[in-house]
Amino acid sequence: MSKNKKRLGITKFIYVPIIFCVIMYLSVLAIFSADLTDIVSIGSMFLSDKQVDYSTAYENIFVPTNINSDTVNAEDVEYPSINKQFGELKINNRDVSAKLFFGDGTIPLNNGVGVYAGSFIPGYGKTILVAGHNNTYFNGLKNVKTGDIVTVNTSYGNYEYEITGTKIAGKNDKSAYDLSAEEENLVMYTCYPFDELGLTELRYFVYAKKTSGPEIVGLYE
Amino acid sequence: MKKFVSIISVMLIIFASFITAFAAGINANEQSVLNQMRTPANMQGNMVYVPSSYVNQAEAHFNTIDMTSAQASKINSIISQGRSFLEGTGKSSINKLTGSEKKTIANYASQAAAVLNLSATAGSDGTQVKVIDKSGNTIIDDSGAVIKTTGAVNKDFSAPIMIGFVLVSAVCCGLLMISKKAKNS
Repeated sequence: MSKNKKRLGITKFIYVPIIFCVIMYLSVLAIFSADLTDIVSIGSMFLSDKQVDYSTAYENIFVPTNINSDTVNAEDVEYPSINKQFGELKINNRDVSAKLFFGDGTIPLNNGVGVYAGSFIPGYGKTILVAGHNNTYFNGLKNVKTGDIVTVNTSYGNYEYEITGTKIAGKNDKSAYDLSAEEENLVMYTCYPFDELGLTELRYFVYAKKTSGPEIVGLYE
Repeated sequence: MKKFVSIISVMLIIFASFITAFAAGINANEQSVLNQMRTPANMQGNMVYVPSSYVNQAEAHFNTIDMTSAQASKINSIISQGRSFLEGTGKSSINKLTGSEKKTIANYASQAAAVLNLSATAGSDGTQVKVIDKSGNTIIDDSGAVIKTTGAVNKDFSAPIMIGFVLVSAVCCGLLMISKKAKNS
């Protein structure tokens, strides 16, 4: 009789709670799996002692130059391919300083900021759409003000853009940029709000117009 | 001497191709392809254009190659066939095309890419176009939106696993102690 009671006690007070806990843990995991990445990001900031793998698997074709001319010949410009670093982007006094890549996939955004491949490089005379993470290289965008100067240095020339405005828009709002514009304009964006990690619906756009830097000539035969 | 001349010739050819591959610029052949891409299809009176993001990505790639007249001619012919196919479907927009029709359009894109030794793939519905070169480098990628996710995402799962383990262990220990107390009383 006492043996049966003991067996019942073990089952009731040990096995059942453990199984219950495991089931609850798995259920919570399944329910909140969609938000897991955010929880992971926050948790990792405090608990992980692993070094984040900011991959260095990219090619750098950026060589700083002091050339300050109004034009540069297309044949002297090495047009970057995807994931190549071809310059640097800075906004003085606003804590923005990053390597500039062509393409805006994982490698560019882990190592700096990236020009969308469906837009163009500085000097081309069209839209330059640049993405960066809100907790790293583009966190400083929250400090920018109209009139601030954005400096973009490339191997074929150094450019300056004056910030003309900012805008908060949805990630699918196509009116926030114009990829068919025939006038050089710099559009930088990051996820909004700035203190929110992971998937957000909004983006913080910063707009700037070109004020100096060589125009690439001889692009079209 | 012959060997020396051969080596010099090969080096010159390599150097020349190196320069050509790196210089930005759109030649007349590439321009004709871009013009073809920008020409809309007339779908029952609705002018349907290739999205600017595609045309721009193609232009970016053309800045890194030197397309020949023969290649441009083939590509323009394929684009023209694709446009005629679209206009012949009798539909008024891309969204109204059937899955099979979208696949046919994707096939035309694939054929055009193959002329430049590129590989084009598309999703089952004909969207999510991706073009890569022989080395696996991405040329056009429409698998994601123009505007990317720029909130940081850390893929290190050690923290939640550790938190989960500690929580489960704590609860188990607590229950074990309760069961022991209950047993003693």
